[in-house]
This record gives sequence, C-alpha cells and structure tokens, in this order.
Amino acid sequence: MSLHLLLVEDDTAYAQGLAAELRALGHRIEHVGDGRLALAAMDREQYDTVILDRMMPRLDGLSVVEALRARGITVPVIMLTALSMASDKVDGLEAGADDYVVKPVAAEELNARIHAVMRGRRWTTSENDTIRAGDVVVSPASFRAWRGGQPITLANLELKLLAELARHAGEVLTRAMLIERVWGYDFEPETNIVDVYIRRLRIKLTEGGGADPIETIRGIGYSLKP
Amino acid sequence: MTARAIRRISLPGLTLAVLALFLIATVATGISVLATNRMTVAHLVDRRVDAIADLVLERDPGEGLPGTDILLARIDALSRQRDTGDVGLALTRANGQWLGGNIRLRRTLPSGRSDLRTDDGIIGLSHGRALVRDAGAGRRLIVVAETEPFDSYREMRTRIYLIGFGSIILVVLGGMFAFALLVARRIGDQRATVDAIIAGNIRHRVPVTGSADEFDRQAAAFNRMLDRIAELMEAMRGQSNDIAHDLRTPLARLRGQLSAMVADARDDDQATRAAAALAQCDTLLAMFAALLRIAEIEGGERRAGFAPFDLSALVEEIATMMIPVAEDAGHRLSVAVDVAMPDFVGDRQLLTQALVNLIGNAIKYGAAGGAIRVSLDACEDGVVLRVADDGPGIPPEDRARALRRFGRLDSSRAQAGHGLGLPLVAAIARLHGGRLVLDDAKPGLVVSLILPGR
Repeated sequence: MSLHLLLVEDDTAYAQGLAAELRALGHRIEHVGDGRLALAAMDREQYDTVILDRMMPRLDGLSVVEALRARGITVPVIMLTALSMASDKVDGLEAGADDYVVKPVAAEELNARIHAVMRGRRWTTSENDTIRAGDVVVSPASFRAWRGGQPITLANLELKLLAELARHAGEVLTRAMLIERVWGYDFEPETNIVDVYIRRLRIKLTEGGGADPIETIRGIGYSLKP
Repeated sequence: MTARAIRRISLPGLTLAVLALFLIATVATGISVLATNRMTVAHLVDRRVDAIADLVLERDPGEGLPGTDILLARIDALSRQRDTGDVGLALTRANGQWLGGNIRLRRTLPSGRSDLRTDDGIIGLSHGRALVRDAGAGRRLIVVAETEPFDSYREMRTRIYLIGFGSIILVVLGGMFAFALLVARRIGDQRATVDAIIAGNIRHRVPVTGSADEFDRQAAAFNRMLDRIAELMEAMRGQSNDIAHDLRTPLARLRGQLSAMVADARDDDQATRAAAALAQCDTLLAMFAALLRIAEIEGGERRAGFAPFDLSALVEEIATMMIPVAEDAGHRLSVAVDVAMPDFVGDRQLLTQALVNLIGNAIKYGAAGGAIRVSLDACEDGVVLRVADDGPGIPPEDRARALRRFGRLDSSRAQAGHGLGLPLVAAIARLHGGRLVLDDAKPGLVVSLILPGR
C-alpha cells in the first residue's frame, strides 16, 4: 500500500536517510524542516500520516499537534523524538499524537506503526468484538479462540497476543509494538519474551493440523495471515 | 550539659528540663521566703518580749531591782493593758515556784530565749517565744509571746504558698505546652513540605504566615533553597533532554546509514560486516536508552505517579509469565509469594521492569538446566523480593561494582547486554526507598530487592 506521508524533521541528513528508506518501502514522502512549514503543507495537501519530530526550531512538535487538533485536522500523527522519558510520552499522546516513537527507529518498525495508526482510525468495532483472520477466530470478551472451528485452549497472555495479531491481520507487528500493546510495558525487555510466546502460540494453533498462520518477518516482527 | 548535648535534646525533652529547673527554683524560692518570714516574725517577737521585760524590771534611779510586790503589780498592770494583754508574764523563784503572773508553765524554762510549743500547756498558744530573765533575789521573770498572729496561721501560710506557686507552675506549664505545640506545628509545616517533595511534588513550598518571625524567616530560607534546587533540576532536565537530542540524532543518522549499507550490500561479506556494525550501533543505543532511563528514575519525578497496586499479584503474574521464557532457555523457574501486599504504593511499570530484568539476568547467567527461584517475603524493613540462580554468582569483592553504572564484570558475566541492568534495578529500588543487595546463593547469585512495607 503506497501512502502519502509528511515527514517533519529539522535534521536534514537523518530525514533524507529515513525518507529514502520509506520510499524504498513504496511510499510517497514529503519532507519539511520545521513546524510552521508542516502546518502550511497540511493546509495545502492531505496526507495519510504525519511523522513529526518533537524538538524543532520555530514551532515544536507538541505545538504542531495541538494546532492540528485545534483546527479539527484528524490526520494520524506519529511523534518521532529523542526524548524517551515516560512523562515525555504522556505529553506527546496528550497533545494528540497517535503514537510516540523514540529515535532512531528502523524504517520497517516505523512502517508497521504507520499502518497500525491508520488501521486504528478505521476501526468502528469495539475491542471486545469477535475478530476473524483466515480460519482463526478470537473472542477476547469470552476469552476463547478457534481455528477451523476447533476450540484452542490459550492462556490469558496468549489470547491477548493472538487477538492483537488478528486485529492487524496482514500487517506487521514489531516486537516493540507487541510488548507495548499486549504486555503493556513501557520498556523493552532484554529477554526474547515475544519470540517465546509466539512460538507457544504457533504450537497451539497448529496442534490440530493446518499450516502455521503466523509469519515471521526477520528482524522486524510477526504477522498473522489474513 | 555541654552545647552538643543541648543540641541533641528533643523538644519535649527540653520542655521537661526547663520545667524541672523552674520547679526546683520555685520550690527553693518558696522555702526561703517561708524561712525568712518565720525568722522575721521570731525576731520581731523577741524584740517585743525584750521591751516588755525591760518595762517590768525597770529600776528607779539609784535603786536596785524592785521588790516582788512592785513586780507583780507591774505584771498585773501590763496584763490589763490592751497593747500588752496578749503577752504572758510570770514571776517565779529559781526552783520554779510560781510567785504570780497571768500564766503558769509546766516546765522550767532555761534562762534566756527559747521556743514554746502547744504541749507547754498555755491556753491559746500553739507557737511562741519565751524569755527568762533574772529578776534579782533568786527570782526570775518569764515573758511569753505568740509567734502566730492568729489561729492556724502556719497552715494558712502554707496554703497560700501552695496556691501561689502552684498557679505559677500551671501557667508556665500551659505556656510551655502552647510553645511546644506552636513550634511543632511550624516545624511540621516544613516536614510536610519535605515529604511532599520526596513524593515528587517539587512545586510544594513551606507556608509563610507573614508575621516575619523566626519561623517565617526559616521558612523563607528553606523555600529559597527549594527554588534553587528546582531551578537546578530544571536545568539538569533540560541538559539531559539536550544530551538525549544531541546524541540520539547523530546515532539515528549512523543507524540509518548502516541500515542502508545492509540493504545495498554488493556481496555477503559486506552485508555481514554492515549487519555486525548495525548490531553494535543498536547495543550502543540500548545502553544510551538504559542510561537515560536510570537518569529519569534518579530524577525522582516518577514518584509523582506512585499509586497503590497488589505487589504480591504482580510478582506472581510476572514470574508466571517468565516461566515459558525460562523453560525456553532450559531453566526451571519457581515462584513463592508468602506475603500479601495488596496496597503497595509504587511505580508498577518500574517494578515490572526490575523483576523482568532480574529474571532475565538469572536466565542469562544461571547454570544450564538449573533452577531459578523467585520469592516475595516479609522482612524487617518491609518486603524482600528475591531472585536466585545457581550460576557462577558474583564474588563478594565485585558485588559493589556490579551495582554501579559501567561497573560490568569482565569474567563470568561478560556476555551480551550493556551491563546496566543491575544499576537500573538498584535505581528503581532507591526510588521506592528500598535497596538492592547481592548475595551468595551457594551456589549462584541471589539478588534481593528490599522495599519498605507501607
């Protein structure tokens, strides 16, 4: 899916590198160097997602998001920043950003997050509704899951993991995203917790026969086949 | 008492000490006033008795002492007069035989002055002074006067003293109590401020009453100090933001270029080398992230977000979550939670990170196929969260270094990772008012995260 993205970043060298990587993933990128130019660009054009640096000269990232939201512009915003404190993240999300990513970020990780925030905007269903992905069905509300109509017994965390993968079926979820959303941690553990749980989930999903529905995207994350 | 001892005394102690001193001084004053009073009365009575004796024994010019008849007549006359009617007079022989007068005595008084008591049997006299003087020709004149101006004078006097000094002591006691209360309240304001600041509310200040008294000046000085600390913290936070920004941006550029090199590699060898460089860059970034995280924790701001949660349930939950991870690495993980901490107040995220970190370490350094034991128990200071492995452990001399930033041990623990795991957990312990202790698990390492019980 080719997307039209606005990259707002004052460090030109870094922005050019990131833009090149995102272009390689098939997106159209426009780059501006400060907050005022970003607001001007958004007045002119519509973007699928805005990638916004937080610390910039002239108008900083927080003010840009606040200005956008005040004008009723609901474009998804991913704040890309060097500030990693928990309170910084809270500030960013409270200002109206959809996601908050600490620099540097691999292009693939950013790509996965872009898709996730856009997908999030399209959701009309509640978090507890039954989710279908291929022959996998997950019902978070009743803590149950099925594959090809056969019930699968899952522990609480495994069920949450499968539900998150199913919600984003066909998209890549990175380890960092899964740790954030499934485990609810605000830090990245050094141990391979996500990999271990994916492995257990795979075993349980394939016990009754059938191909492995979870795809590993090497070095990036996992994706449930739609 | 030395100046140091005085400085060490507590406020109630000081109040009691001053009160005791005051009490002693008051009692001493009372006793001396009483004694002086009695002496003065005795002295005045003595002079009166002398004067009356002089009157009785007065000689006509050129003659000796008057005869018995004259003396008795004089005694009789004095007894009738209003001024001297209350004075007892008697004329006796040397052997005590009564010759006349208005009193009779049960005993023979020594010559000169003496004290009289109730058992001397003189009607209406409880305490008095007597004077026995030689009246010539083997006769003696006895003059007796009361030292009590009215009945029960002594009891009355004692009562007056008790009431007087008692009320003084009560007033002082009340004053001291009010003073202690005032001081405690004003100092309590400061303590509340310190507590609020430790709890993360750096904007809190000591209330100033506006009376410009000692306490107000103290509070103002204290507040100025807090303003300065807040300024410094703000500057430090700005600095750490600047460092984060100024270092992360070039690192991000570096990572981007390395990542591009991996993608654009012309052959496998180039790809492998670029990937290795990228991995090293990521280690550097992880280290930097851990350092910033430690700085964030040590800044203490996260205390403002402390909230109650069930610590026992959290330990159980995380240990259970880590069992598959431990099994995956060939370890057995067991958990024993022996204390209920349903309302522990702290940072749930940080304690989660601490426990995940400690169990991760145990998985990394524990003996292959070994056991990892996680436990939560009550201890003297509150609760102790222990994670024990049966790996090589850390020799006692290296333990302090293992808790320091960049104090990574080169021999046994020199595997992957940035070596900031234990310092991070130690910072989390300190943020919660606890501490981290490393010990020998015989064999292996046991890490104890001691948290104050609330």
